Amino acid sequence: MNRSQLIEELRRIVGPAGVVADPVALMTYDADGCVMDTGEPQVVVLPASAEQVSGVVRLASRYGVPIVPRGAGTGLSGGATPIGGGIVVSTARMDRVLEIDARNGRALCQPGVINWELSQAVRPYGYQFAPDPSSQKACTVGGNIANNAGGPHCLKYGTTASHVLGVQMVLPDGSIIWTGDGNPAPVGYDLTGVITGSEGTIGLVTAAWLKLTRLPEAVRVVLALFPDIAGASASVSQVIASGFLPAALEIMDRLAIKAVNDMYRLGLPEQAGAALLIEVDGVDDGLDELLADMTTVCWRNGALDVRPARTPAEQNQVWAARKNAFGAMGRLAPTYYLVDTVVPRTRLPYTMEQVGRISQEHRLPIANVFHAGDGNLHPIILFDRRDRSQNQRALEAATAVMHVSIEQGGVISGEHGIGVEKQDYMTLLFSTEDLAAMAGLHQSFDPYDLFNPGKVFPKGRGCGELAALRRAGVAWSELKSR
Amino acid sequence: MLPASLTRQLAAIVGPDALSEETAPFAVHGRAPALVITPATVEDLARAVAACHAARVPLVPWGGGTRQRWGRPVAAETFVVLRTTGLRSILLHEPDDLTISVEAGMTFAALNAALAAHNQMLPLDPPRPEQSTVGGLLASGADGPRRLAYGTSRDLLIGIRVVEATGRISKAGGMVVKNVSGFDMMKLYLGSLGTLAIIVSANFKLIPRPRAAASLSCFFAQPERAFRLITALSASQLTPAAVEYREDGAAASIEARIEGLPAAVERHVRDVRRMAEEAGAGAVSLAAEGFAEVERRWAGFNDAPQTVDLAADELVARLSCLPGALEAALGDARALAAREGLALRVQARALGGVAYLRLRGGDEALRAWHAAMLARWPHLVVIGAQPALAAELPVWGAALANLDLMRRIKQEFDPENLLNPGRYVV
Repeated sequence: MNRSQLIEELRRIVGPAGVVADPVALMTYDADGCVMDTGEPQVVVLPASAEQVSGVVRLASRYGVPIVPRGAGTGLSGGATPIGGGIVVSTARMDRVLEIDARNGRALCQPGVINWELSQAVRPYGYQFAPDPSSQKACTVGGNIANNAGGPHCLKYGTTASHVLGVQMVLPDGSIIWTGDGNPAPVGYDLTGVITGSEGTIGLVTAAWLKLTRLPEAVRVVLALFPDIAGASASVSQVIASGFLPAALEIMDRLAIKAVNDMYRLGLPEQAGAALLIEVDGVDDGLDELLADMTTVCWRNGALDVRPARTPAEQNQVWAARKNAFGAMGRLAPTYYLVDTVVPRTRLPYTMEQVGRISQEHRLPIANVFHAGDGNLHPIILFDRRDRSQNQRALEAATAVMHVSIEQGGVISGEHGIGVEKQDYMTLLFSTEDLAAMAGLHQSFDPYDLFNPGKVFPKGRGCGELAALRRAGVAWSELKSR
Repeated sequence: MLPASLTRQLAAIVGPDALSEETAPFAVHGRAPALVITPATVEDLARAVAACHAARVPLVPWGGGTRQRWGRPVAAETFVVLRTTGLRSILLHEPDDLTISVEAGMTFAALNAALAAHNQMLPLDPPRPEQSTVGGLLASGADGPRRLAYGTSRDLLIGIRVVEATGRISKAGGMVVKNVSGFDMMKLYLGSLGTLAIIVSANFKLIPRPRAAASLSCFFAQPERAFRLITALSASQLTPAAVEYREDGAAASIEARIEGLPAAVERHVRDVRRMAEEAGAGAVSLAAEGFAEVERRWAGFNDAPQTVDLAADELVARLSCLPGALEAALGDARALAAREGLALRVQARALGGVAYLRLRGGDEALRAWHAAMLARWPHLVVIGAQPALAAELPVWGAALANLDLMRRIKQEFDPENLLNPGRYVV
């Protein structure tokens, strides 16, 4: 079918206001927060209900047009980038919190609800939504589910997967299913668990029951300053190894401190080479003692200063600086490439050393703002996109960070997902058998590769091909040789 | 009857000592397997699975055998029991990273002993820890009382290795606490009762042992009063590690397990005591103090969900509902048990909505209770019953949704239907 027919039919399903077809307007949708790849969508639709999503999916399925789901477009791995064109399905008009069930600690949300707004909505009931990505004032819960998003407080409260009780989703044949409602011991394969983190490739989430977390009675925050990142990283490793249970452990290095200092007037000393943000929460009793024990670890590792943030206002200022550090990077360079890998926490000091080496070798500054408590690194490679050589070196530096992380027993993504950014690194981590099992799962849901095709799996090793290998019983090497 | 050639092949793979025709102790719902094999390595296990696959002989994966009463009978005339207990090593323990990788046949008692030496724990708390294996707990998706504070295996599992139906080995996840590298296959294998793949090893994030712990017992003359306390606790900002509701006959009690910093534990003991008294508790006592003592006490009543030892007239069910509906659900269970003349014992994760019910009485009465209860509470799973009863009841409850999709998944992972055929929902 031609494009104008497609647009016509889509308008019939979602109404004229729900279709974006103007070429200039479409440019807004050519990438998400990952600027390395772009693609032009044929059309963008903004459905307002699960039924409309189903209608769009049926149409796309009939004509074999790929569907690319999109939340707020804050993703950093190209998950919402329409690399092969197709229909971008935006959740922007599905942005309501439908029900807050305080007695059962859950909320029913549409996928376009902003993460931060959900936490604000449930606050009067004494709850929060614990997953808190740095982009929480913009990102949507649907996107959080797609990428199993993290955030600083995942250290204590777990990633998004631990906070999704069940979803309503549209399958590639247009059928609408519910995978759960918060019942604590459901029977059957854990569809809720597999849709979370599946990056929009097996189903489109149209509503979700999310688990709410009680607001803690008390929160304490301190900022420990170190001459260099080694002391901060060593402190984190030791805090974890000593068996403390902080709510968050975040590190910012010298470059990041410089950026947020200028922007938020934090007044941090220029000689600070790293800041470690420690948060503890829970009942008030014992928190000071816990914090004192952790700051002792910091002093032992050569801290220059430990500054408590006592009032909620002070705490908010520190957190705002941390969460907006990426935005502040604009003061340092025209473009940045934000890398996301994870290493075992004891390997953090060594890995940070290697990141420093990679920065020197590729002659590009790298700032670091990261979830140290989880071992989740975020080297921010600063460069100028208009300079071809810098572009190339930035990509090479990112690859080097991934290699180091894997060598240290880590993985290639902690919270951003694979998307298109990292699909070709999957083979560094997974064998053909591992990928084939993932492909098997994918095929059970989406045999015709309608949803977000060309993502997650390595290029040239599509899920269809991998699943076919599997079905053909392409045997385990040991058996072949017998 | 097994083809003799397969028996010979399996003997060659696992070694003659790891193959047994003493199969009676390994009966599933009263039917014994043709053969029991206990491979000593993952590779042997994978080869054995491949051999059974080639011969189209179904397999029943078997850890400690503590939850083999779960599910339906094996839908095959002849089957082989595949034990994982030959795989019981710690593969990698990084105490300072708070992560561990263990083989599936390791028991919880052995695992906990290894962790205790490093002041760490994996608070999944299955019944019969000296028998219950890591793989079995994951495959059955069993929960423990401390899920309230630490989550279930779903939250603590960070990596997995499985042998698929054809004998292929694959893995997912890793040894880090945060990971979105590819699909979360772990969730698929968790709780799928070995019908998609056989779990051979698992990686967990660990929890440091708390510096202080206490256990508080609150006794109530009537269940309503106990539920007043439960409602107050769920509305509070307190963070108990576990709150179990127990009912046996007329009396009800609540046991609160508290873990954490010394000052926080003291505060919880104070507050829970006050709240219990306000709710009308007849007596409140500090039943245990210190981690070791609390562990011992809780081990003493963690047997409520066990289905190893089952009286001839006993049925064990797991009820799952939203936390706010627990009082009503238990009220129904109680009233129906009284109507049918059944003895009822209850233990529930009071703030979570999972309850284990043990009933005793005649088959007719158990049938009638089950039918009436299931009509009101669809998430009612029979986890322990005598074979005849288990074979006829809808043991997985009445809330089964999305079976077409689940069949497609089963078809994709086990097209010949050789892994625990018939025992789970598809």
